[in-house]
Amino acid sequence: MKRYLLILLTGLIIFGSVFFASAQEIELNFLGWSYGVETVRDNIAKFEAKYPNIKVNFTDVSWFDYHDIAVARFLGNTSTDVMYGSDHWLQEWAAAGWLVPLEDYFTKFVEYKKESAPYAIEGMTYNNKLYGLPYYADMVVFLYNKEMIKKAGFENPPKNLSELIEQAKVMKEKGICEYPLALCIGKQEGQSIEIFTSIVYSFKNGNMFDEKLNPLFQKDSGVYEALKFLYDAKNTYKILDPASLIWGEIDLVKSFGAGNHAFTFINKYNLAELNNPGVSKLAGQFSIALFPGETRSCVGFVRFYCMTKMGVNRGKDVVDAIGKFINYFGGKVDGQYNVVRRWSLEKGLGFAQLPLYNDPEVISAINQWGNVEVEEEQAKFARAKQGMTPFYGTWDIFMREQINKALLKDVSIEDALSASTKYWNELKKKYGM
Amino acid sequence: MKDIFLSLEVLFRPRGIRRRDVSLVIMKKKIGNMTGYIMILPVVAIISVFTIYPLFYAIKTSLYEILLARPFLRPYVGYGNYLEVIKSYYFFKSLLNSLVYAAMCVFMVTVVGLGVSLLLNCRYKITNVLRIIIVVPWAIPFVVSGVMWKWIFNSSYGAFNGLLYSLGITDAYVSWLGHPLYAKICLAIAHAWKEIPFAAILFLAVLQTIPRELYDAVRVDGGTSWMAFKYVTLPLIKPVLLVVVIWETVIGFTMFDLVYVMTGGGPGDSTSLISWYTYAETFKFLNLGKGAALSILLALIVLAMIIIYLKVIRVEQVY
Amino acid sequence: MLTLMHKKHWQKLIVYILSIVVFIFVLGPLVWIFLSSLQGEADLFVVPPNWIPKKITLDNYHYVFTGKIPESYEVKGLIRSRISQEARYIVPTIINSFIIAIFVMLINLAAASLAAYAFSRIKFKGKMPLYIYILTSRLLPAMAIAIPFYFIVNSLNLLDTKFSIISVHCVYTLPFSTWFLTLYFGEIPKDTEDAALVDGCNHYQAFWYVLLPIALPGLSAACAFSFVFSYSDFLFPLLMTQTLKSKTMSVLISSLSNNPDVSYALISVCVVLAVIPLLFIGFFFRNYIIKGMTIIIK
Repeated sequence: MKRYLLILLTGLIIFGSVFFASAQEIELNFLGWSYGVETVRDNIAKFEAKYPNIKVNFTDVSWFDYHDIAVARFLGNTSTDVMYGSDHWLQEWAAAGWLVPLEDYFTKFVEYKKESAPYAIEGMTYNNKLYGLPYYADMVVFLYNKEMIKKAGFENPPKNLSELIEQAKVMKEKGICEYPLALCIGKQEGQSIEIFTSIVYSFKNGNMFDEKLNPLFQKDSGVYEALKFLYDAKNTYKILDPASLIWGEIDLVKSFGAGNHAFTFINKYNLAELNNPGVSKLAGQFSIALFPGETRSCVGFVRFYCMTKMGVNRGKDVVDAIGKFINYFGGKVDGQYNVVRRWSLEKGLGFAQLPLYNDPEVISAINQWGNVEVEEEQAKFARAKQGMTPFYGTWDIFMREQINKALLKDVSIEDALSASTKYWNELKKKYGM
Repeated sequence: MKDIFLSLEVLFRPRGIRRRDVSLVIMKKKIGNMTGYIMILPVVAIISVFTIYPLFYAIKTSLYEILLARPFLRPYVGYGNYLEVIKSYYFFKSLLNSLVYAAMCVFMVTVVGLGVSLLLNCRYKITNVLRIIIVVPWAIPFVVSGVMWKWIFNSSYGAFNGLLYSLGITDAYVSWLGHPLYAKICLAIAHAWKEIPFAAILFLAVLQTIPRELYDAVRVDGGTSWMAFKYVTLPLIKPVLLVVVIWETVIGFTMFDLVYVMTGGGPGDSTSLISWYTYAETFKFLNLGKGAALSILLALIVLAMIIIYLKVIRVEQVY
Repeated sequence: MLTLMHKKHWQKLIVYILSIVVFIFVLGPLVWIFLSSLQGEADLFVVPPNWIPKKITLDNYHYVFTGKIPESYEVKGLIRSRISQEARYIVPTIINSFIIAIFVMLINLAAASLAAYAFSRIKFKGKMPLYIYILTSRLLPAMAIAIPFYFIVNSLNLLDTKFSIISVHCVYTLPFSTWFLTLYFGEIPKDTEDAALVDGCNHYQAFWYVLLPIALPGLSAACAFSFVFSYSDFLFPLLMTQTLKSKTMSVLISSLSNNPDVSYALISVCVVLAVIPLLFIGFFFRNYIIKGMTIIIK
């Protein structure tokens, strides 16, 4: 009798623990874009190994469609618990109630603010609350081809935009390249507004909007000068590759990496790819310099992990799991920003977590393809985008069109900018801001 | 299903069916009526439910200002959305773009389609083979056609650029999809690639019904092939020509798939067709009211175009 | 003055040249895509392109079917490895598209043939107005009802189901099938069924036993049309599908083409896989399709 009882008890315990364990398994639905999928999958595997009762389903979609796909998922209530976000959509999605502030659920995340670059924190904050932890933060920097500059007879890269035009003209004359300057300002490319804003910031008093969110697009503004610079580069001096108007980031980087251009403004991590001898034929020829202009300023942006209202609605267990996930990927585990560090070492992704600049491995890894000193100095001048509002995304698309049209000579620069101003003000009124 | 019909039928079948008398005829007519209604019921029901209700929903939505990023305020604005759409920066420009694009498609499809059908009408071994493979592009979705042609027109590595370069026609790669006019032409080519077989087969069917004697008559009178074409072929294919023109106009005007895949509306807004903005208003600008208003306007415009065309056909037929 | 023989030779030459041009135009893109799918991404990015592939690899197909990330440099790509998981979804989405298209085809077959029989054979009150009503519903541009449809389906919690897509596809195929089959049945003489009706059959039996067997070619054409429409449709699945539960091939292909992290070689693989059913139908049903189109013009 006693033996039977013992067996029964053991059986119950085993059954119970299996049931209990499996009942505790939580599935998280993670949405991201398709960059570096192998690395993301590997990180997830390591995360799942550390927390065996959490399973992560990773769905990756195109970066170009990410906004629309995310919106469709919000509207259709397709289960998404944690996802990538970007500073230029935060206001829109937070105002619509689709994202929730991390502060409200994980108070210890506020500690991370002290160690992060200011432009990144600004980009993840809405209504004074922190909505995410950084996936990566980067700047739109100035990259140039060292060989081409030498061939043109110059020692140093240009320090401002007029010097850039001069150097480009010489290169064109000498036949070194057809279009010394190339950018990715295609209509589909989300970074195009960031690149444009960087050029605006490079002018003294260059601002897109003032504190009251009024657009500053009048005749002598930084915005006007920036658009005029692009217009001249394309039409007057013909140093800007016309294909820039339909290129996304990858098209630009491929062309730049093939040695077709001398100058570009693009996010910094691409330099790691360009100078990687394993993948690039012209590795070592590319370098970073401070953004040309009077202010040497540029745009800093942040992409981050955020939590959705849908995830919260699933209950406390899920929220806990999400907290663990976001902390593992964007925060410190055992005192180290492991995942962020890995992105930096392996792919050269920029980071907002400042302590990493003191990490010797990180420093030497960056110096292999880039220049830590230049990077750190540029970070001092990096500014977040202005005008972050729920309707920035809507206006952004219109502005991209206007910029392209002005460059195509469809409309004059003045008309493009006044149309953009009008549209911004209409939206502002609609949203009661 | 058959059993349901049979059992229903039993309810209505009159007795003594072999006797033919007036009451039987009337009964049969009533059966005919009832059977007819039952038979068309599935189609009518499905169509009504899934078109009438969404239409009313769309009209209702278009009367309110609904911004997804401002969820707590949905004021009634009556025709406000419609006014905004018509006065918007994109309305007339995209209408124009859509018309230009539709015109390009119609031109390419009818002219080349007619040419191909004339070719297919010749009796050679090679044209028989051609007849077999000509159906292939028609079966390929616009999305796939767009992806293929986008790759072919790629500004850095595309086959089209490669072809021109290898043949020495150009000495550098051109960004076809980056130029406002060429982008439209590239879209039209991708469109025409899929639609030309359709037109060619229709034209061929008509061509094959034209009796040879008519051509012989022209030749006997000393006419050239061109005159045969002008005075015999053209008049006889006019009805089909009009059908193809109407069909291509509507398809070209409301094209969405190709734009989404090939150009995303760019460069600038040169390929942003009107249906692209209907999508964009809802999913990019998150303005549901305007999106609904625009789709209603689009439906009205297409309806107007078709009515105009039908009137033209009627005139032709009378003539 | 050219002799008749010379003229005939010239004619033949021109016809052959033009035919070859048409051949290249029609089949060229498909062949090009097929060749692209067999190469590594790095091999595709050469100027001018390799008209005949230098190195053929099945690694891309391997990745799509098994998820094994290609190791070789040629396949992994130039600058950043453009291997997205999205490409692996092509097979489930093709299956989804196929299932949806089959259902649409069957519903069309049943409902439209029944209605076409009624319209072409039976006199009943209100026939003309109903016929016109059915036809004009086809004239509605898809975009006009797509977005309201999306919200209605959403409120019914039927988003992301195959059912909603099948329903809306039926709306767009039924008018055409009905019209087409009505014309087609109209060509078939009524005498055949009249004999059966006199012998005591009702309309349903006449329809099922007499008309259908004769009308098989037309029905096959209607099946082919509705299948191809449903399989190729893009707008409705774009709005109404989210996950692999119901995502269709066309949505995935467009998503891949817009994804900067998918190499063109992978896209080509997905395109090749996606068009196989269509090529199959196009080839085997071409006679019915062509005959069907000729009926329309009469």
